Amino acid sequence: MRSRWRPPRDRVRPDVVLRLVVRTFSEVCLTAGTLIVLFVAYVLLWTGVKADRAMDGEMDRMRDRWAAAPAPAPQASVSPAPSPSVAPAPPARHPAGRAFAEMYVPRFGRDWVKPVLEGTDPELLKKGLGHYAATARLGAVGNFSVAGHRRTYGDPFKDFPDLRPGDEVILKDASSWYTYTVRGGPLRTVPTDVAVVDPVPEKSPFTAPGRYLTLTTCDPEWGHSHRLVVWAELTETRSADRGRPEGLSG
Amino acid sequence: MYGWIWRHLPGNAWVRALISLVLVLAVVFVLFQYVFPWAEPLLPFNDVTVDEGSGATP
Repeated sequence: MRSRWRPPRDRVRPDVVLRLVVRTFSEVCLTAGTLIVLFVAYVLLWTGVKADRAMDGEMDRMRDRWAAAPAPAPQASVSPAPSPSVAPAPPARHPAGRAFAEMYVPRFGRDWVKPVLEGTDPELLKKGLGHYAATARLGAVGNFSVAGHRRTYGDPFKDFPDLRPGDEVILKDASSWYTYTVRGGPLRTVPTDVAVVDPVPEKSPFTAPGRYLTLTTCDPEWGHSHRLVVWAELTETRSADRGRPEGLSG
Repeated sequence: MYGWIWRHLPGNAWVRALISLVLVLAVVFVLFQYVFPWAEPLLPFNDVTVDEGSGATP
């Protein structure tokens, strides 16, 4: 019986080498292409799935906290020994990374509701909108500023450029509803323009101190060269037990 | 590369196909769980804040 012919080990034929090189090269190309497609799917789809899950979790935990410990009513008459010197002390700041309010923007859709977390750390913005920790508290005098993803991680601020003066941005915390009405923007600015979150924001229609809201996101949609900014002003506050504000009813 | 892996898997063609499928799924899992979350911040979609000079976002 004849054995199959094999090339001698010391004399490999050049066409065999060439075939091996070409095959390996095409396998590497196919692998790289598959990797890229998978990565695009991850960025476009999977981050959204993860973010929606994380945001739902944050909302559930926040509502559980609200149910467990209702925030004290604004009138502080129940405290047994109020210190006479200080006016009603502002409530402590929220711990970093914790959800403390939910935001509704009717312009973004009837079902659009997202948790607002304390801080603007990139990790945190994957779980909700982020409140610039150095800015005013919700509903307080000053500029309550919030950042959110425009694309990826659930696309919360995807329709940001559609906001127009007169639109409502409604927030709810443990005790109250806060209705802000958009007065200026969307304005395109550069990332270093930190004055847009000042207590009286620069370039905004506001000139005197007041209870303001600033929203920021990135621009262009898939880039990071600029930021989009919208300013709003507090137009209504109502306690939670009086039901939803008009902007959300119906 | 893939031919080399195929030749080194044990069993007949069906067993090899099954093992290959498991290997592919394992690779996809590792990519989605560890590699892509590491690589994603290198893209520009995370920059949504105006910088506060305190490392808010790069």
